[in-house]
Amino acid sequence: MADCAIRNRIRELRFDHDEMTQQALADRIGVTRQTVNAIELGKYSPSLEVAFRIAAVFRVPLGEVFQYDGKDRKS
Amino acid sequence: MSFREKSAWISFVVIAVVFAAYFWNVARVLAGQVESREVYLVSIGLLAAFVVLEIVLHLAVALHSPGEARAARDERERLIELKATRPAFQVLVVGALAGVGMIHVTSSTWLMSQVVLLAIVLAELVKFGVQIVYFRQGV
Repeated sequence: MADCAIRNRIRELRFDHDEMTQQALADRIGVTRQTVNAIELGKYSPSLEVAFRIAAVFRVPLGEVFQYDGKDRKS
Repeated sequence: MSFREKSAWISFVVIAVVFAAYFWNVARVLAGQVESREVYLVSIGLLAAFVVLEIVLHLAVALHSPGEARAARDERERLIELKATRPAFQVLVVGALAGVGMIHVTSSTWLMSQVVLLAIVLAELVKFGVQIVYFRQGV
């Protein structure tokens, strides 16, 4: 597995939303609980659509859920 | 463990066990211990066992988590299946070419067909094995 350059705050956001379970989040964004877990652990980078769905569930901008840590490839 | 991962494990183990028994019989034929006709019924039985085991075990897992079993594959599961297909196809191509190459070694169509069948089985094992690795380690 390649190092994931995308960090996320999903665990923290779930905690802030009444301890929302991974299953509850998974049901709302249309993926399996295992996929939510893989995203949280940085083992899978979701598609842009799923990323937007996650942000919509928590009612925050995309940048508050996901942060890019990688270097600019052009520099 | 998700339903798809359990499904991959079931298929991997069932294929490995059933076709190990099948090719053990093929090896006995090649060694001259038995005639190919004699293992014909055994082979049919093993293939029937393969189908029954796949259905029964998948049914058991689906009954344990019916919601997951009914749900469509999500994007991560589809990606894992796609990524596992590539190495499996490479194994299948090499095996198929080996089967074609057998024409220079033997005139036995039965033996050629066994080589092609072995290639298919190995490709399936690679496919499900790679899926399991991606499910475990991430993709």
